[in-house]
Amino acid sequence: MAGKSIFIDTTRCTACRGCQIACKNWNRNGASATRNTGSHQNPPDLDGNTFKVVRFSEVETDGKVCWYFFPDQCRHCLEPPCKDAAEGYVPNSVIQDKATGAVVYTEKMKEAPFDEVKSSCPYNIPRLNGMAQPVKCTMCIDRISNGLKPACVRTCPTSAMNFGERDEILQMARERLAAIKEKYPKAQLLDADQVRVIYLVTDDPVKYHKNAVASVTPAIGQGQPGRFAGPIKRILGNVLGV
Amino acid sequence: MTNHWIDLANSDCILIMGSNAAENHPISFRWVLKAQDNGATVIHVDPRFTRTSTKADIYAPLRSGTDIAFLGGMIKYILENDKFFTSYVVNYTNGPYIVGEKYSFKDGLFSGFNSEKKSYDSSTWAFELDDQGIPKKDLTLQDPRCVFQLLKTHYSRYDLDIVSSVTGTPKDDLLKVYLAYSATGVSDKAGTIMYAMGWCQHTVGVQNIRAMSIIQLLLGNMGIAGGGVNALRGESNVQGSTDAGLLFHILPGYLPSPTASLATLADYNKKNTPTSKDPLSANWWQNRPKYMVSLLKALYGDAAKKENDFCYSWLPKGDEGKSYSWLDLFDAMYSKQLKGFFAWGMNPACSGANANKTREAFANLDWMVNVNVFDNETASFWRGPGMNPKQIKTEVFFLPCAAFLEKEGSISNSGRWAQWRYKAQEPLGDSKPDGDIIYELFKEIRDLYKKDKKAKFADPILNLKWDYATNNKFDAHLAAKAINGYWLEDKTIGDKTYKKGELVPAFAMLQDDGSTSSGTWIYCQSYNQDGNNMARRDKSDSSGIGLYPKWSWAWPVNRRIIYNRASVDPTGKPWNPKKPVIEYVGEVKDGKYASGSWKGDVPDGPWPHLQNPDGSPRADGKLAFIMRSDGYGALFGPGLKDGPFPEHYEPLECPVEKNSFGLQLNNPIAAIIKSERDVIKTCDPRYPFVGTTYRVTEHWQTGVLTRNLPWLIEAEPQLFVEISEQLAEIRNIKNGEKVIVESARGMLEAVAIVTKRFRPFTIQGTEIHQVGLPWHYGWIFPPEGGDSANLLTPSVGDPNTRIPESKAFMVNVRKKGA
Amino acid sequence: MKLTRRSFLKVSSAASAGLALNGLGLDLSSVRAYAWELRTSEAKETPTICCYCAVGCGILCHTDKKTGKIIYTEGDADHPINNGTLCAKGASAYQIAQNEKRATNVLYRAPNSDKWQVKKWDWALKEIAKRVKKTRDAGFAAGNEQGQIVNRCNDIASVGSAALDNEECWLYQAMLRSLGIVYIEHQARI
Repeated sequence: MAGKSIFIDTTRCTACRGCQIACKNWNRNGASATRNTGSHQNPPDLDGNTFKVVRFSEVETDGKVCWYFFPDQCRHCLEPPCKDAAEGYVPNSVIQDKATGAVVYTEKMKEAPFDEVKSSCPYNIPRLNGMAQPVKCTMCIDRISNGLKPACVRTCPTSAMNFGERDEILQMARERLAAIKEKYPKAQLLDADQVRVIYLVTDDPVKYHKNAVASVTPAIGQGQPGRFAGPIKRILGNVLGV
Repeated sequence: MTNHWIDLANSDCILIMGSNAAENHPISFRWVLKAQDNGATVIHVDPRFTRTSTKADIYAPLRSGTDIAFLGGMIKYILENDKFFTSYVVNYTNGPYIVGEKYSFKDGLFSGFNSEKKSYDSSTWAFELDDQGIPKKDLTLQDPRCVFQLLKTHYSRYDLDIVSSVTGTPKDDLLKVYLAYSATGVSDKAGTIMYAMGWCQHTVGVQNIRAMSIIQLLLGNMGIAGGGVNALRGESNVQGSTDAGLLFHILPGYLPSPTASLATLADYNKKNTPTSKDPLSANWWQNRPKYMVSLLKALYGDAAKKENDFCYSWLPKGDEGKSYSWLDLFDAMYSKQLKGFFAWGMNPACSGANANKTREAFANLDWMVNVNVFDNETASFWRGPGMNPKQIKTEVFFLPCAAFLEKEGSISNSGRWAQWRYKAQEPLGDSKPDGDIIYELFKEIRDLYKKDKKAKFADPILNLKWDYATNNKFDAHLAAKAINGYWLEDKTIGDKTYKKGELVPAFAMLQDDGSTSSGTWIYCQSYNQDGNNMARRDKSDSSGIGLYPKWSWAWPVNRRIIYNRASVDPTGKPWNPKKPVIEYVGEVKDGKYASGSWKGDVPDGPWPHLQNPDGSPRADGKLAFIMRSDGYGALFGPGLKDGPFPEHYEPLECPVEKNSFGLQLNNPIAAIIKSERDVIKTCDPRYPFVGTTYRVTEHWQTGVLTRNLPWLIEAEPQLFVEISEQLAEIRNIKNGEKVIVESARGMLEAVAIVTKRFRPFTIQGTEIHQVGLPWHYGWIFPPEGGDSANLLTPSVGDPNTRIPESKAFMVNVRKKGA
Repeated sequence: MKLTRRSFLKVSSAASAGLALNGLGLDLSSVRAYAWELRTSEAKETPTICCYCAVGCGILCHTDKKTGKIIYTEGDADHPINNGTLCAKGASAYQIAQNEKRATNVLYRAPNSDKWQVKKWDWALKEIAKRVKKTRDAGFAAGNEQGQIVNRCNDIASVGSAALDNEECWLYQAMLRSLGIVYIEHQARI
């Protein structure tokens, strides 16, 4: 399949927050006044100024401490529900770049009902900025269209973040999974066939972040988990809490 | 670092201890993980499970202040399990040396202790000499008085049970670490240590590092790719500033500062120039007089002549035995002995131990000059909490300086790479590069002295060479060249003639007759006739071990891995041919080198090595450790104030009443500052928890820069204290709650982070809790950000370095209002 | 509603400038490729070395040629240690270059005052020089209690700095020692 992908190998992430800040730097995002609520995760969530946030999660398994880092961002879905949701109201409000597959919001998103857009996202990504504009990671479409890597990938010192052609990235991800599977039997790639931003984790995804994978809905089990045609998703989005 | 950052990738076993490298030197992990990709084992030993620990193959917890116990156990393990690299120990260390009969160790004290003076007479630690004046040796390492056997005896007390009981590290974890690390004691495996303030900031700081040096020498890890003792320094140019002698006890290039009893240059040279009777020892510091004279010529130019001792008497002299170090400096300020003060690019109100005392001391000054990029707690001390400006007479001059991207010059990283950097924008507003400020300030001072003919001892001021400007503006290139050094007259050496005014090629050419100048001899070659070597950006590298010899320039003489003479066997062949650092290659006739030279990195001296290929000794060879007067790596170290072998002593504030290893509880000669403001409370039920200080990736030092950057303060907005879930339960503290942390010296409000990553230790059978705080915050900004953890830390220090014991002291943590 | 070229071109982001799209065509779904403008494409690139931890990573500054201001900083891809990568601190270097809280004025606090006054460099350096001379001369000790020659200025101390360049450090210690100061310390000690 054409286009780009990002592979995020959490086994190599040291939570240095280079990506969190590099993203703000490139996008000229600001910062908000935060408080330490008993965690190093700050800001506590994605927001209108934060398209990439490193999530910290302490877990104890068999008496052993683990500290999982999840540098969260838009997954740039192959079939983005947010695009379906928005374009039901406002045509051409979301660019899905043909060359790269990057999913990019335009100004016209402002006209779509944000709650629906937000709740259509299985990963809880879209946010509003200070000007009531829906925002999220753009995959640095301007950078990648000019032969550069996304700012977060570029800044990552440990190759936790990787960028390239989707086929190569998928292969990289699968090889890495195979290499660590013996040491980490629970290792898995998250929603690799549905998204362009593919995470590798070593434990249950929910231990990293409740929205690490698209939520599965037992009530409607047809098709791909978490994915619905536009109208159905809009109706059921809130019920499922997605 | 003896090695450098990229070299970490060459390692087979990386021990990270006294360091939280993934958080505080994040990009180092690019290379640590590369080593791990190639099969290396990464070990992290730390009181707390950190971001570094998440990537480690082995994590072992340890109570702050017990590193020597941990490492002593490793030394015992290595010796008892024959993990040491015999050939390396015999040929390159003082393991075979016979120690004189006066040496002993009993009840926690070494021989020669004077309890009144609180010092050691180290003459009782001297080696037994032969009639040539060279230490006697037993190359079989069996003599009961040889260093190797004394080492074994000394650490025989460090068995697993006791070590575990002192450090709180489970025995299984100790064994895992010992087994993994000692596996590098073979010729084709390299182990390295990454350490930082976690080892330095203790009353046994230097001995912590000595313990690791012993391990590295036993395992043959010094001088090899992926080995070495790697100090991870904390500021972008603390390496360079140390090299430049911005400390009371050293002149540029690590020349000792002259003291009062050394009246003449000859006295100075005699005291400070080591001699060696062994023709095989290069004893490189025998060249000290050349560097001292070259420095004096750099300082005083033509005024410095042989007849006037090159103006040696113009250098100020400290009193014998008196320390002018940080703790002493602020004690002098507190005791009203200081009137004027420069805090140049520093924020002592937050960075110094026992910071309340420092803040109060500022008010005793007549005047203070503070140079910085942002306002800070030092410049504004007079309006800080608890201060009444109306009663503070101190004049404060705040000078705004340019940020790093607004000026040109070089800085030296931890790997000794002096890297030239460039100006990307004009300094903001009225700010100026520090170089400009220094240059112009001194000119103003000198003008005053020029005008006042009766001024006191104005010679050094009037004659200081100060021609570092182009078009009246400070020119870093001129300074860099002066640091490299010039030929001051035509000189012919061998078949080459150097011209007056040319730059000296390298420090081997520096002279003691006044014909050369050099500001910092170890930087000689950094900027020479070839150009500004520090500005090189050539990435070609055929070393196979990531030396990058043409990227910038490393001291000394671009040697990227120092002590590399120990990376080869005595015939000059690499211990590990797969990762050679240097190799002696030559024409061999009848089993002997007829000619030869070194390939690879810049060798530790051009001479051949100790043996011919047939094993016969070479009279023109040199011993491996050229900077030591005897040429050998020191397992037994007579040069330190508190003992030739590291011994576990408890921190001055500690949670135990007895030292499990001996009768002496604390370092008997720890530096202790005594004033009513310097309080120590040990084994005091009011302060029942071990406290430590540390850092986070997102902030840097006192946070003067980083607290003012929105993206960073957003990520870590407030002072926090990390406490275990068990301690939280005992004190009924909830995650995210504001709590009080207090020591005998001060009190702070912090947000509690209740975490699984701290666990109570079992020490001598008792449950001991440890907590930790970052010291990045200060009252100036942000509001609610919290203040500096150094309000809690003690003003006691290591007896050799006098670095404060900021890593282990006793605190209480309680709910607000409790 | 007809898409105007302006609304077509602007992509949402928090910053006012947003992503700039130099494309043709109005139907987003059918256009195959856009010529996205890189906001740093016209900037001058200057390499520097990070001011923080001593790994010594390369940072590349992008400076607007017209205004002379740094508009972006990122890792220097050519640097062998960091290869263009940076941690949170290095990645935030831009906010040192452009920051309203940067100290941009010479300030003076008079005895017993509760406020700063803005001053000029010339004044400040001359006043500091006067105080250095006055304090040094008042307490200068040619000899010590043991009668040894020390030529020492006992009453002035200096701390700093590991944040200075090598050339600046050397000049600074030269200045301090020429004044006879022995209380010379900095970050390496703590």
